[in-house]
Amino acid sequence: MEVNGPKIYLQINGMNIITQTTVASFTVMVLLCAAGWFLGRNLKKRPGRLQVITEKGVTMLYNLVEETMGKHNAYWTPYIGALFLSSIGGSLIGMTGILRSATSDVSTTLTWALMTSFLVWGCTIKNSGLKNFLKGYINPLNIVSDIAQPVSMAFRHFGNIMGGGVLMSILYTGLAGLSSLVVGAVRSNGWAVTGVTALAGAALLLVGFKKKKAALKIFGAVFAAVAAAAALEKLGVFGEIPILEVGIPAVLSLYFDIFSGGIQALVFSLLTMVYVGMACPPSSSRK
Amino acid sequence: MLVLAEVTQFESLVGVNPWTALFTFCNMIITFLLLKKFLFKPVKKMIDERQKEIDDMYAAAEESKTAAAKLQADYEEHLSEARAERDEILRDAVSRARKRETEIVAGAKSDAAAILTKAEADIAQEKKKALNEVKNEISSISVSIAEAVVEREITEADHQRLVEEFIGKLGETDD
Repeated sequence: MEVNGPKIYLQINGMNIITQTTVASFTVMVLLCAAGWFLGRNLKKRPGRLQVITEKGVTMLYNLVEETMGKHNAYWTPYIGALFLSSIGGSLIGMTGILRSATSDVSTTLTWALMTSFLVWGCTIKNSGLKNFLKGYINPLNIVSDIAQPVSMAFRHFGNIMGGGVLMSILYTGLAGLSSLVVGAVRSNGWAVTGVTALAGAALLLVGFKKKKAALKIFGAVFAAVAAAAALEKLGVFGEIPILEVGIPAVLSLYFDIFSGGIQALVFSLLTMVYVGMACPPSSSRK
Repeated sequence: MLVLAEVTQFESLVGVNPWTALFTFCNMIITFLLLKKFLFKPVKKMIDERQKEIDDMYAAAEESKTAAAKLQADYEEHLSEARAERDEILRDAVSRARKRETEIVAGAKSDAAAILTKAEADIAQEKKKALNEVKNEISSISVSIAEAVVEREITEADHQRLVEEFIGKLGETDD
């Protein structure tokens, strides 16, 4: 098993112009814009089901931004929303299996983090003047914190998504090994063992359904599946069936790909909101 | 030199590719602008418009409710006024009717009394007239009877005297 960075699709003069990440992020952009255009057209005063859901989502975003940044910063919502959706989309696109998650590339997350930083600096200069902005750096620790801020944001997001992906591929590799071990053991010991395994699986399934015990059902299903895989391999229908890769990865993928992606998108957007919100205080308290 | 990299070529796991960063930046800006134009602005506008419409409706409803309450109060006031007026008119009418009644009764009584007095006077007059007629009748009858009885033995003067005496006696007994 190898853990690699994004694939390189186009190289000019040794520069990696187009990589897997570029394609993934472009795809996410196209999908998001298409979805946004689709959801935002034909709005009616008496909304249909889809419009209600859209409005609910937009309202939730506006409420989140207003709660975090204050009512005067509600106009930041489209940027925060775009960031949140790009982040979550960039994480989820990795689940297609064709593209790699755009967010498991530091280039992506660092770009977004730097955009946040530049917004913060821009807002600070706009609201309190260049002099006050530069005055802030009399304390050299502020320079360190301004550098650390985007780096920590970028690596937090990148690390979580990349780590999840790595863990998933390790899991797949491990399960494939285990699967070939178990199925191989059943297969190479003659038809009797296969039959016994199948029978045991069937019995466990039956008892599980009668007593309504989920554990028995699962074990029965695994036994039966192993027996079936062994039989198919024996008959030469398929080469090696990594049968144990079914099930467990789905549950873990739910956490590592969907939950983790959502959490990181939320964390990234929340941090952006907090930093930018601090740089844009209500007009009454501005100097 | 342009190289369509083989698929087996990978970037390092942790590394920043400025080209990827540039594309990501552009994609982010495009996503932001398009979502803002096509999703956030129209949806927010729609929500705000609807909210405004609802607020307006509530305000209008509140207004008409107040107007209705005012109307009802006015109406009730008018009603009570009318009721008071009606009572006043009724009281007035009753008192006037009573007054008129007593007047009429009194008038009737006095009329009746006057008629009675006149009738009594008439009766007395008639009685007197009748009495005189009777007197004359009786005197002439007496004369004729006396003439028949006496047959010229008394003079006209005696005759007249006798009659008057007789009538005087009659009047005395009659009274």
